[in-house]
Amino acid sequence: MNDGTAQPFDIYLVGVGGQGVLTIGEILSQAALAQEIPANFYPTKGMAQRGGFVKAQLRLGREAAGANIPERSADLVIAMERSEGLKAVRFIKLGGDFIVWDHVWAPTAVMMEQAPYPTLEHLSEQVHSAGGRFHDLHPHDLPKGLSENIFVLGVALNNTALGRLLQPDLVRAKVEERWPEAAAKNAEAFRLGLGFYR
Amino acid sequence: MQRKIVSGNEALALGALRAGVKVVAGYPGTPSSEAVAFLLAKKPEGVHVEWSANEKVALEIAAGAAWAGQRSLTTMKMSGLNVAYDSLISIAYSGVNGGMVVYVADDPGVSAGMAEQDSRGFALMADLPMLEPATPAETYRLSQAAFELSQRTGSPVFLRLVTAVAHSHAALEVEEDPPPPPELPILLERDIQRYTKAGAAICMAQHRDLIARLEKAEEVIGEMGLNQLTLAQEAGGLGIIACGATAVYLEEGFERLAKLGVSPESLSVLRLSSVHPLPRQEVARLFAHCSALLVLEELEPLVERELIVEARRLGYAGRIVGKLDGPFSRIGEYGLREVVEGVAAAVGLSLPKDLLRGLAAEGQAAARPITVCAGCPHRGTYLALNRAIRLLKFKKDEVMVTGDIGCTILGMNPPFHTVWNEVSMGASLGIAQGYLAAGLKTPVIATIGDSTFFHAGLPALINAVQHQAPLTLIILDNGWTAMTGMQVNPGTAEAFQREGWQRLDLAALVPAMGVQQFFQVDPYDLKTTTETMVQAIALPGVKVILARRECSIQSKRRGLRFRRVRVLEEKCTLCKLCITTTGCPALSIGEKAVVIDPAVCVGCSLCAQVCPAKAIEKEEIG
Repeated sequence: MNDGTAQPFDIYLVGVGGQGVLTIGEILSQAALAQEIPANFYPTKGMAQRGGFVKAQLRLGREAAGANIPERSADLVIAMERSEGLKAVRFIKLGGDFIVWDHVWAPTAVMMEQAPYPTLEHLSEQVHSAGGRFHDLHPHDLPKGLSENIFVLGVALNNTALGRLLQPDLVRAKVEERWPEAAAKNAEAFRLGLGFYR
Repeated sequence: MQRKIVSGNEALALGALRAGVKVVAGYPGTPSSEAVAFLLAKKPEGVHVEWSANEKVALEIAAGAAWAGQRSLTTMKMSGLNVAYDSLISIAYSGVNGGMVVYVADDPGVSAGMAEQDSRGFALMADLPMLEPATPAETYRLSQAAFELSQRTGSPVFLRLVTAVAHSHAALEVEEDPPPPPELPILLERDIQRYTKAGAAICMAQHRDLIARLEKAEEVIGEMGLNQLTLAQEAGGLGIIACGATAVYLEEGFERLAKLGVSPESLSVLRLSSVHPLPRQEVARLFAHCSALLVLEELEPLVERELIVEARRLGYAGRIVGKLDGPFSRIGEYGLREVVEGVAAAVGLSLPKDLLRGLAAEGQAAARPITVCAGCPHRGTYLALNRAIRLLKFKKDEVMVTGDIGCTILGMNPPFHTVWNEVSMGASLGIAQGYLAAGLKTPVIATIGDSTFFHAGLPALINAVQHQAPLTLIILDNGWTAMTGMQVNPGTAEAFQREGWQRLDLAALVPAMGVQQFFQVDPYDLKTTTETMVQAIALPGVKVILARRECSIQSKRRGLRFRRVRVLEEKCTLCKLCITTTGCPALSIGEKAVVIDPAVCVGCSLCAQVCPAKAIEKEEIG
């Protein structure tokens, strides 16, 4: 339960449709509700289709929270796609954690080599320039068939201050409630994330 | 009461239920759609809920119900209010008997892709009260308050939400299943003086009553305590007027300002939930107490202007900081930055340059133009249309293809580049007739989706038929109002209409409108669709092609797959034509051949139909 000492904690999520970006925010909102931590979750779907830009903002610990996280203010950024990660750089606060799942979802023009695509180093430089702490996760960090968003959720809970605000066991329970039929697989992805250090 | 996570839209719907709403009618439009969608799914006992054919019809249904003494709600996005406004002005003159709430959603910052229209201006013009909440919790409260205000004043009341509130999700105490609406007698009031506009005397009397209702609303809003005024202990400081959604950033802004040496105790605050009418008593108290005022309002400086008028009237000489005199823009959303920078500007504090201004890195992100979904039937329609134009020996920039609202506008994007413009619901037909009237001799083609056609395309097609405008209309029929999240429309298949509803078949409706050249095609069949278009475009008179196939998102949700499609690696030359032509999100470049993602592919086989090497095989399923 929230003992009243919960510090406000802002999470900025970006990725592309179909990666479960919004789901991460929904699960964390549910966990916050169970812990009686006030939360405002603001998903922006743009076009609710696979491959389109998706962002979501989760503001924890404020009784009245404006939906938009101010620039230079996010305690945690989770980017599920490399290029989309660049769109979140302006929101990371000094000393905030920036986790990128280094997946490349190439738009057609990039696939056709008609348009550039940023390198991971470029994203890392930008995050460092903005004063954020950069954590990169890679598809080879996770066995195939396990959900990357659940894995990243686990990583975030164990490697950032988020784990001090929300109880990992509770978050795991919320994951299980949501997909009872995939409980074992998700528990494994979550466990691997929680145990992940770089 | 139960504590649960609800969105602003759901809070609005639940608030209306709690207020005893009996009739709910709307038309989908992001970010307002979830209010009706939520109620349709919930099926509350004793409440009539519907998606209407357009916003004007929806508003009229709500008004009819309110005239009959019942409580009603109508919902729409800002563009929809433009459609409904004709009736609303007239209804405002007559007033209502049951409480009637008009929910309009605005979108500062344009996250849903339309104009940054400030619908508060409509409240001013209609002389109707408008309430605006800052959070989902306030939405729940104000939704109920709006009904009370409407009932007590006899005036329809606007409830305006911006996207950030409509789409925010927060935990709040709500009554999930309030009792059904009370059984009220159906009022049958025959009163020509009130319900018609027959003559100047009647209209001017109604106008007088309308103004009186607005004045009464100001009084009732004051009694209900909808606006919160907090005066600083000491007079002479800065007063902040925070409108609607901006108020939610005050507390956080004050924390930041305290760190910069501005004491929150020195600030007076008027939190404005009633954006119209302006609560003049509270404003007068603020004038008397503060040496300067800061106005926080997104989009147009409407409250700011009213304050300037009020200042002139009351002889207030302090500075009013906002958009007309101050740092703020009429474009985009407000957030914490506007609170901090606004107060700093008003008190003459200079801020560190990069405070609340992050490193802009998004310029280097890859462009991600949105395209139609994998398996979208109308990928075939655009491909066929591009081919037909070529086969008719026209260059692409010689043939005007007007666009419309909804998914069909995606035809403007790569790889199609088919559609030229986007105006408003149904406008593809009118604009096309304008080009013809202007004297354009090359073919003119209008494209429109099924729901948009029902909404506002019908009168425009009737006009084309009457005047025999030689255009080709392509109705891209996917059976759903898809762009806004899959709502049922009049043409949606029988199986998805509610019990007791009747489906309207475009294939019967269009010929009955006097269209003599009518064709129907399956856009998954590229060859026939192309040939039909070539034939139709070359004909004189009004031609309509109904390109019909259900939205692939919907069919996929039901587990439908049409064909198995696979790449024959040995035949694929990696020419990538399938990718460049179709732009299908299921296709990517593999090491030896193009790869089809089986989780995304629905088997439309359009890629196979464009492959010059016959390297994509299709196999029919059952």
